[in-house]
Amino acid sequence: MILSQEREQALIKKLKDRFPSEITEARVVRRSRPEILVKPENLVEVATFLRDELGMDHANGVSGVDYNREARFEIIYHCSSLQNKETRDIVMAIKESIPRNTPKARSLISVWPGVDNFERETFEMFGITFDGHPRMEKLFLTDNWDGPPPLRKEVRFPTD
Amino acid sequence: MTVPEKPAPLAAVESSRTADSGPQTLTVSVGPQHSGSGHMRLIIELDGDIIVNAAPDPGYVHRGIEKICEVRNIIKSIPVIERPAIIDSSNLNHAYIRAIEELQGVEAPVRSQYLRCLLNEMNRIMSHLYWLSIFGVFLGHTTMFMWPLGDRELFIDLAEKLTGARITHSYIVPGGVRRDLPQGFADEAIKRIAYFEKRLVEYDKIFFNNPIFTSRAKGVGVLPRSEAIAIGATGPTLRGSGVDADLRKDEPYAAYSKLDFGIPTRKEGDSFSRAIIREEEMLESCKLIKQILKDIPAGPIRRKAPIVVPRGEAYSRVESARGECSFYMVGEGGDKPYRVRFITASFRNMSAIPVLLKGGHMADMPTAWWSVDYWPVEADR
Amino acid sequence: MSAQKTAQDQDDVLAMLADSINVWVGKLSEIVQRIVDVGPIRSVVNWGRIYSLWPVNITTACCSAEFGAASGARHDLERFGVLPLGSLRQSDLLVAEGTITKKMAKRLRMIYDQMAIPRYVIAMGDCAISGGLFHDSYSIVNGAHEFIPVDVYVPGCPPRPEALEQAIIMLQEKIRHSKVYERG
Repeated sequence: MILSQEREQALIKKLKDRFPSEITEARVVRRSRPEILVKPENLVEVATFLRDELGMDHANGVSGVDYNREARFEIIYHCSSLQNKETRDIVMAIKESIPRNTPKARSLISVWPGVDNFERETFEMFGITFDGHPRMEKLFLTDNWDGPPPLRKEVRFPTD
Repeated sequence: MTVPEKPAPLAAVESSRTADSGPQTLTVSVGPQHSGSGHMRLIIELDGDIIVNAAPDPGYVHRGIEKICEVRNIIKSIPVIERPAIIDSSNLNHAYIRAIEELQGVEAPVRSQYLRCLLNEMNRIMSHLYWLSIFGVFLGHTTMFMWPLGDRELFIDLAEKLTGARITHSYIVPGGVRRDLPQGFADEAIKRIAYFEKRLVEYDKIFFNNPIFTSRAKGVGVLPRSEAIAIGATGPTLRGSGVDADLRKDEPYAAYSKLDFGIPTRKEGDSFSRAIIREEEMLESCKLIKQILKDIPAGPIRRKAPIVVPRGEAYSRVESARGECSFYMVGEGGDKPYRVRFITASFRNMSAIPVLLKGGHMADMPTAWWSVDYWPVEADR
Repeated sequence: MSAQKTAQDQDDVLAMLADSINVWVGKLSEIVQRIVDVGPIRSVVNWGRIYSLWPVNITTACCSAEFGAASGARHDLERFGVLPLGSLRQSDLLVAEGTITKKMAKRLRMIYDQMAIPRYVIAMGDCAISGGLFHDSYSIVNGAHEFIPVDVYVPGCPPRPEALEQAIIMLQEKIRHSKVYERG
C-alpha cells in the first residue's frame, strides 16, 4: 500500500526534538504504526509527554517478548488517541529493553491507569517486576504455581 | 443531555460504620459457581448494601494460548485462536489472519474481503444475542433468555451453510477465505434478516422499553467518559460513555470502507445505554449484511499465501463484538511465530468493572456487571 | 457412691439398648434397600431422578456457549427435565463444559463434593475428555476424570446441542438401570 506517512513522521519528529538522547531509535514500521525505543529510565517522562502533549490518552496493551538469545526482555506499550477522528488509527509502540538477569522496569500506571492488569500479566508470565505498581500479584495462574514464568522461552512444551 | 462525570450520590443509607467500631465491611466472593458470574470470581467488599470495592479475579479459563501459538504452525493455531470468544469466533480469527497477512505482505482478493465482513457481522449479531439472553437470565427475565437464543439459531444456520460449522468457523485463512457463498444463500439470508428485524421491534416492546428493565438499568453502573478513556475501555462499553470510537470507521479494514453504516453512541454511560447500543448495533449489522450481499463483487476468494511468518513485527486490530481485539506478532522466518500477543476486548474492559460497581448497590451488581459483556474466556485466553 | 453406680448401670443399659436399636435399624435399612432395589419402588425413584436432572451453574470454558444454545428456545433442554439452577445443593448434574484449568479443577472438585447424592457428571467437549486443542498447555488438566468420576462423555469441539441432548438421554438410560442406593 502506497500511502503517505506524514502524520507518523511528524509525530516521531516531535518526540525526537523533545527527547534527542532518551529515544535511541525511532521508525515507522508501516502506515499508522510508528515505534520508538526508549531507555528504561526515561520511560515515564516520554509516556507523560505522549499523553499530555501528543494526546495519547489510553494504552491499548502491554506486551512482553523474551529474546533469550540476546539475553534481554522487551516490553512494548501500545498507545493511541481518541481525541481526533483523523489520528485514531495511529498506534504508537513504545519499546524498552531490559536485561534478562535483572528483570525490573518502571510501571506506567501513573500515566495510563489502564495498564494495571496488563503489567500484572507481564509480571506473571515473564517474571518482570514493575516498580511503582501497587499490586504486583498473580493474575491468571493458580496461587500455588511454582514453575518458572510460563511465557519465558526456557519453558518448553512436551510436543515442541 | 449533560454527561455525568461522577456517579450520582446515593440516597442516605444507614452505614454500618459506627464511631467506636471503626469501618465494618463484609467481603463477598461471587463465583465461579454462581448464576451471575460465569467463569470468574468477583471479590466484593460491602458496607451494608453498598459496594465499597470490587476486584475481579480472572484466570479460571487461562489456557496459555499465547504459548500454544508459539509452538504450533500458524495454520494449526487458527482453531486455538477462535476458542477464547467462541460466540464471536470469526472476529478474532480475522484479527489473527490480518497480523499474518501484514507480515507476509499478502492482500486478500476483494470478494474474500466482503465475505470476511459478512461472517464478522453475522458473528456480531450472534454474540450480541447471546449476551442479551444471558442479560435476561441476570435480570430474571426468562422470555429474554429464550427469544434471543432462538433467534440466534437463525444466524447460526446461515453461518453453518456458509462455513460448515455452527460457531467455530475457521473460515478466514491467510490469503482469503475457505469457501465461497453457497447457492441460494443471499435469498435465505435476506428472508431471515427481514424476520429478525421484525423481532427486534418485539424485543423493544418486551424488554428495552419495559419499565421493569429501564428502572433497573438506567443510572446504574455509570462509567464516566473521561474514566472510560483513561482505563482503556473499548467497544460498546466505550461507546456507551459517549465516545464514537469504532475501528470499522476509524481504521477501516477489509471491505468496511466501502460500506455504509452508523455507529450507535450514547452519552449516559450507564447500563441501559450499553444495552441499547448493542441492540442498535444488531440493526446496523443487518443493514451491513444486506449491503454486502447486494454489492459483493465476483472474483477469486483466495490467493496463495505461504505458510511462513517472515521476520518482522506486526500489530493488527479489528473491532470484535466486545471491542478492539489486537494481535502483536513477532516473526523470525519459520512456520511458527516467535511471539504472539493476543489482547482482547474483555481483558481491557475488565478494568472498567471495579469502576462501575463501586458505590452501587449489591442488588444492581448483575445489571452493571453484565452490561459490560465481559466474557471471561476471552479475557483469560 | 452407690447412687453413682446406679447411674452408671443405667447408662450402660441405655447404651446397650441404643446399640441393639441401631443394629436393628441398620438391619431394617438393609432390608428396605434390598426391597427398594428389587421392587417396583426402584423404577419409581429412578423415574423421579431421570426427569429432574438439574445441572449446577458452573461453566468451565467455551462449551458453555453450546450449553446455552441447548437450553435455549430451539433445543430446549427443559423437555428432558434439565433446568439450570443457581444452588448447587439442589442440583444433581454437573456438566464440565470444556477445558478445565488447574485453577478451576480445585473449585470443580469442591462443588462436586458439596452436591447432594446422587450426583452425575457429564464431560462435555474434547477438552473435558482429554485436553483437546489445549492438551499440551501448562495450565490445564487433561480430562475431567482425573479428579471427578464421569458418567457420560460428549465428544466434539464444541459438541452440537444435539450431542448434548443425546448425552442426557444416555445418562437417563444409565440412571434407569442403576440401583437406588448404589451411589455414595
